[in-house]
Amino acid sequence: MTPPTRRSYRVAIVGGGIVGLFTAYHLLRAGAGPVVVLERGFLSSGASGRNGGGVRQQWDTRATVRLMREAVGAWKRFGREFGTNVWFRQGGYLFLATTPDEVGRLHKVTEAVRAEGLDGRLLDATDVPRHAPALSLDGVLGATFLRTDGTLYPFPGVWGVYEAVRALGGEVCLGVEVTGVRIEGGRAVGLTTSAGPVDATTVVNAAGGWSADVSRLAGLAVPNVASRHEILATEPLKPFLDPMVIRLSDGLYFSQTMRGEVVGGLAVPHPTGTRAGVPTSVAFLGSMSRSLVRLVPALAPVGVLRAWSGYYDDTPDGFPVIGEDPRLPGFVHANGFSGHGFMLSPASSKRVAKAVMGEPTDLDPAQFSPGRFLDPHRAATPEGLQPG
Amino acid sequence: MDPAPDPRPGAGAPGPDLRSLRTRSTRYHRPRAPFCGVGYCTNCLVRVNGVPNVRACRTPFAPTDRVEVENAWPSSRFDLLAAFDVVFPHGIDTLRGFRRPAFARGFYQRVVRRLAGTGALPTPTRPVGTAPARTIETDVVIVGAGTAGRACAGAVVGAGGRPVVLEREPGAAAVDGAEVVVGTTAVFLPPPVLGRPFPFQLIASAPGGSATEVHARRVVVAVGGYDASLWFAGSDRPGVLTADGAERMHPAKRPGFHRAVVFGGGPRALEMLNRFPEHVDAVVAPGTIDPDVSRRASELDIPLYPRTLVLGALGRSRVERVRLTRRGGSSPTFEIPVDAVVLAHRRLPHAQLFFQAGARMAWRPDVGAYSPAIGACGETSVPGLFAAGEPAGAARPDDAVRSGEVAGAAVVAGGPSPSLPVAPAPEGRHELEGYYQEWLAAGPGPGKVVVCPCEDVLLPELLDATDRGYRGIEVIKRYTGLGTGLCQGRYCLPDALFVLAARERRPVPEVGYITQRPPVVPTSLGALAGLPEPGGPPP
Ligand SMILES: Cc1cc2nc3c(=O)[nH]c(=O)nc-3n(C[C@H](O)[C@H](O)[C@H](O)COP(=O)(O)OP(=O)(O)OC[C@H]3O[C@@H](n4cnc5c(N)ncnc54)[C@H](O)[C@@H]3O)c2cc1C
Repeated sequence: MTPPTRRSYRVAIVGGGIVGLFTAYHLLRAGAGPVVVLERGFLSSGASGRNGGGVRQQWDTRATVRLMREAVGAWKRFGREFGTNVWFRQGGYLFLATTPDEVGRLHKVTEAVRAEGLDGRLLDATDVPRHAPALSLDGVLGATFLRTDGTLYPFPGVWGVYEAVRALGGEVCLGVEVTGVRIEGGRAVGLTTSAGPVDATTVVNAAGGWSADVSRLAGLAVPNVASRHEILATEPLKPFLDPMVIRLSDGLYFSQTMRGEVVGGLAVPHPTGTRAGVPTSVAFLGSMSRSLVRLVPALAPVGVLRAWSGYYDDTPDGFPVIGEDPRLPGFVHANGFSGHGFMLSPASSKRVAKAVMGEPTDLDPAQFSPGRFLDPHRAATPEGLQPG
Repeated sequence: MDPAPDPRPGAGAPGPDLRSLRTRSTRYHRPRAPFCGVGYCTNCLVRVNGVPNVRACRTPFAPTDRVEVENAWPSSRFDLLAAFDVVFPHGIDTLRGFRRPAFARGFYQRVVRRLAGTGALPTPTRPVGTAPARTIETDVVIVGAGTAGRACAGAVVGAGGRPVVLEREPGAAAVDGAEVVVGTTAVFLPPPVLGRPFPFQLIASAPGGSATEVHARRVVVAVGGYDASLWFAGSDRPGVLTADGAERMHPAKRPGFHRAVVFGGGPRALEMLNRFPEHVDAVVAPGTIDPDVSRRASELDIPLYPRTLVLGALGRSRVERVRLTRRGGSSPTFEIPVDAVVLAHRRLPHAQLFFQAGARMAWRPDVGAYSPAIGACGETSVPGLFAAGEPAGAARPDDAVRSGEVAGAAVVAGGPSPSLPVAPAPEGRHELEGYYQEWLAAGPGPGKVVVCPCEDVLLPELLDATDRGYRGIEVIKRYTGLGTGLCQGRYCLPDALFVLAARERRPVPEVGYITQRPPVVPTSLGALAGLPEPGGPPP
């Protein structure tokens, strides 16, 4: 355990995943004052150490495309700004549609992508092999491809930002659990933790799959729901697949990492076992293998090396929650990232830092603010492209 | 442990002779030779009929099989890509290197990507599809038909039961009254769903074949153990192998070595002396040497080196000398010429299935490993799950028989409620704790110390991680990639625990648990795809 060294901080961040760490980084860069990140597990024990490393700009809402476009720039620069190499490889994202309805959805996505000045392409099934020769085209009606999407290796991202936070004088306390949110005069004024109380002018809830619990500690009801997602990796193979591939019909996603492993899952929440640890199920191993082998028959003899799972933090409309809670001044949300918090984190955390500093952000409140769930009339249309 | 039959590599069996097979490592293309002989390490992977990463040591070959070496060009004996090993004496830093200049990113990625990975995408000569799994329902399933498993099966049959026994080896003998399923490895045992007629669902698979799904009321895991590795410079060099490997791959009369050093001072070392009396030149042990080992060695006129550090296995394409130094600091180093190093110092229980099932695990300083916490009858903290044999702490065959019989009787009787009051965890420190402390102080070298042979992770990467303040096995694993390769950490994480304990100056259990993710061994997507759909008929 690394306990906090001071009693009082400008900002106390709950959760030392990529979101909490990046938020701390941007706050320190902006000269916010003393910042502490409180993480109950080890570094990368949450979703930030359990994800598929996908980074895409193909979304059906332009605001998300814009945010992700900025994030892609940040991931490209990451190695030069931070001491570690995330191996962000722009092999593209290939979305496969197998029904006319899905083709329609991909149309909408490509429109949004192109409207933001990116080179998204709608493809016929016959164009698919050019981007991913190993795929069976059985049932594929159409596809989209964006060359500048890609994949990265999440761990060095966590290490790099962690080291940068510490180099800037921030504290990252590992093995310290937040057990309560202290409220005085209707304001969040600090936390109670397993290492004692800390005071903070602002508290940030970056607790990922556990964010609803942390909000509850502050007496706030939120619609965030944790859902368990399973994922697996195969034996490492020599490179044969460049893009991340996603099939809309069953949410199958997979890519080949720099190390050669095929890593992927099914972007459907697993029905059982939320909060029962992070296990693997026989049902997942079966359905994932079936789904993958159907699309890439050559993989049938390849061994599954390991399987694991992690929690998405889902919101009703699929957009993250960024900003101060209107019900509790001093309590800022940076959560609800569903299956894409890693890729978004460099861009979203900049906005979180601004919200902490009380500065305005460019985020549409109807889409991202915590208040949107309090006012049903302001609810935005949900993000349509959830998988991967 | 069972006496292994004499292997007859080459004799009538087509396919590569395991004694002379050479492969190459993933990153640095270091020469490798079969190491473990029991289907876990990466050193005997070959491509067979277009299927990559087939373990030669566990594969029955047919005369028409096309066997190719992977990961080497033009051949595994003369591999031009081995230049990477020479050009990068301190390794390739993929964590912090290759970050500049910006325009070179794509180039670096192509080069590094090509160096990673083991075999290439399958191009099977015969179609490999998905094979529907076989489903078995049974009262009692026993995993492992070794000494303990057979004794357990006998006890269950004696009490009128009819257990199913799963055995990884293809040739296991029948047990009267039991159904023995051979050539099938148990790979996944999720926690039982209590309240279902068959709370346990065990997944097993045959290499290159289909899966088996066993629904059972009770499970006895009697899967034995394996001989551990050891870290030293050149520990990945051909000629270094485990006692398992020596036993499985080398005929007692004509092994592929002539002057081996046996590392270890206990029962396993004695077995090696008895198996290869004319081919052992020295016994080296991390601590004291048992009297019966000393006696046998002096009969055979073999010198003993107790309390000795192995600093390196030197040589070119295989071990030619070992460099040693007595423990206790400031002793001079010395070398002895050998052509093999047989690691016989530590048996580790196979503990994955217990961990998967959610059993409480305990650190055992006497073994230097985690194993399930058990009660007097082998019952674990999971109701209905029992341990027998090495996972239950049995070190010798008669202990294994006894633990099998006791577990068998308890299983039939319905099993005691798992309160686990018995057997307090032994105290003290394992001898390797002090050993590795001194080894680190001695300044490991010469040459590369490959701590994770599957992924070619080097010792300095690990030391650098702890210098930067990363602590605990979970983080170090993710930071260095240690233990994330094909053997899933079997041959590196047990040693990493000791080295990290020394570096972090805290007891081993505080360094963390070695999380073992399913499956137990790589299991083909094709076999898993054949598992029945939940709630539906098999595909
Ligand atoms: C299987 C899977 C695949 C995914 N694939 C992708 C992908 O391809 N691309 C992508 O961008 N995203 C992906 N994601 C999502 C992504 O991983 C997450 O959105 C992102 O990591 C969220 O980061 P975070 O910091 O908010 O959460 P986390 O990394 O989960 O961090 C939250 C931390 O808070 C800590 N915490 C919780 N409660 C407390 C408390 N009371 N006190 C102290 N600490 C506490 C937890 O221990 C945890 O470490 C995937 C997720 C999963 C599970």
